[in-house]
Amino acid sequence: MKELKVEICVCTECVMKGAMELAESVESLKKVKKHLDYEGEIYIDMEKCLGESKHGEDSPLIAVDGELIKNADSETVMEKIVEKMKAAC
Amino acid sequence: MRGIYTPVTKIRRQVFTEVAKLAYEGGDYNKVEEIPFRIIPGEVPTYRDSIFVERAIVGERIRLAIGLPLYPADQPTYISNGVEESAISEKVYDPPLVNVIPFACNRCDETAMMVTDNCRGCLAHPCVSVCPVKAISIVDGKSHIDREKCVKCGRCRDICPYHAIVKYDRPCAAACGVDAIESDHLGRAKINYDKCVSCGMCLVSCPFGAIADKSQIFQLIHAIKSGHEVIAEIAPAFVGQFGPLATPGKVKQALLELGFSKVYEVAIGADQGAVEEAHHYVHKVASGEEPFLATSCCPAWSVMAKRDFPEIAPYVSDALTPMVATARVIKKEHPDSKIVFIGPCAAKKLEASRKSVRSDVDFVITFEELMGMFVAKGIEFGEMDGDEVIDDATAAGRGYSVAGGVADAIANCVDELYPDVNIMVDRAEGLRDCAKMLKIARAGKRDGYLMEGMACPGGCIGGAGTMLAFAKASTAVREFQNVSPDKVATKSRYVEAEEE
Repeated sequence: MKELKVEICVCTECVMKGAMELAESVESLKKVKKHLDYEGEIYIDMEKCLGESKHGEDSPLIAVDGELIKNADSETVMEKIVEKMKAAC
Repeated sequence: MRGIYTPVTKIRRQVFTEVAKLAYEGGDYNKVEEIPFRIIPGEVPTYRDSIFVERAIVGERIRLAIGLPLYPADQPTYISNGVEESAISEKVYDPPLVNVIPFACNRCDETAMMVTDNCRGCLAHPCVSVCPVKAISIVDGKSHIDREKCVKCGRCRDICPYHAIVKYDRPCAAACGVDAIESDHLGRAKINYDKCVSCGMCLVSCPFGAIADKSQIFQLIHAIKSGHEVIAEIAPAFVGQFGPLATPGKVKQALLELGFSKVYEVAIGADQGAVEEAHHYVHKVASGEEPFLATSCCPAWSVMAKRDFPEIAPYVSDALTPMVATARVIKKEHPDSKIVFIGPCAAKKLEASRKSVRSDVDFVITFEELMGMFVAKGIEFGEMDGDEVIDDATAAGRGYSVAGGVADAIANCVDELYPDVNIMVDRAEGLRDCAKMLKIARAGKRDGYLMEGMACPGGCIGGAGTMLAFAKASTAVREFQNVSPDKVATKSRYVEAEEE
């Protein structure tokens, strides 16, 4: 079974800068998997801080299959995930 | 747009964080002039045509976040005007609460029917045939609507086989349930304050971020810094708002770290109100003495109900709102403290300043504003050991934060206290639907009912000051309800204490 692991940093600054909304957009991809011909699973991990303490300049931080994205926004993150989905097909 | 982190959300939150930092740092408050340059750096505009306009708008948002009025665009002035004088431990509040920043407004047209590029100028053109006022003609091979004649009935839109006609609403006006959004002489949105009930839905719906409400965090931080005893009461919608690491116990701990001396759940007052309204329903409504009972906890709803439906006003519950009831409980135990209501709500800011009922609440801030304080102070939920205990309220009181929860809490009390009484319930969320429900009641079709009104769609968890999307927030509240050992409001120790 193919799977993608998305880790979202949920330190205070990342949450203020949109981590929860990023989680929503990652989750929304589960609903369009069919359109993207992806049959695997997307796992979202929101349990910890991904960066060094006080990484406010880089917030929000997100890692897609271990690949770190700084100053993440929903369009970049979804693009990266879809790219990984396609590579896995 | 709720649940999506847009540039509007980003700027709003940056302003709260920067204003909180400014208050914590103290010193020379002329440095407030630097904040727009931090939020809008560089020399190329990001959001609008001009970087100078971007910064001027941020300047206005900063003033509002400090509690100051907008500055007139046609007079020389500084952001810092009045900031030093506002650096006090008391609330600074000049009406109005909700403000349109005029030069940030995009002057969206008022409601109109519009023909889009989808129109193929088809042979049938049924849009022309169905129009009751002959407003549609075919011009240059496309459907054309004469706006002077159009009555916005929507029949052309409904009949078009290409979905080429849309009804367009100003987002602020569409979000306003009391039709308070009008236009000024330049076509910019203008709030009619005789109608506005400060629910805040326009400010979270404007895609240009042109509407903002005033905040009290600047003065609250000064109150805490001055060493005064400051106590927080936190509304039941708070669960999950500050991210997955911020469990209810850790939120309490974070508030203590900010310098609050105690933290109470507002659901205490909700429990008390549910029991009081259950008794009231049985003695007055079920007995036939009064036609119905409308809940009172949502201030935007109760103000609208009393003002626009005077014949219903006597039947809006006079039970204290959870915010005020909880503040009274706190004042009894800590008479010299300052009390801060932390919630999802813009309208509570006005309720706390109301003259008719002494609120005992010194400050009202939102979850989003509080998050600005957490960031400014460097509070990290992930670095906290252990969990504070937070166990003031029952599942019923905690449920007040979700639409339907108030009526459920009251109905369960009635079941518990008066098992023979059968309670009838109607409820509405969003002020437009609330008004519809009241019209039905006025027509005599809700006699014997308990009516729950919530100004925000979804209830308090959909409030203007929230951080978390609706579905997640509602799950979080339910989980927090489940961990309360007591399910019915009558079991609250505060209710029992009151009855003794």
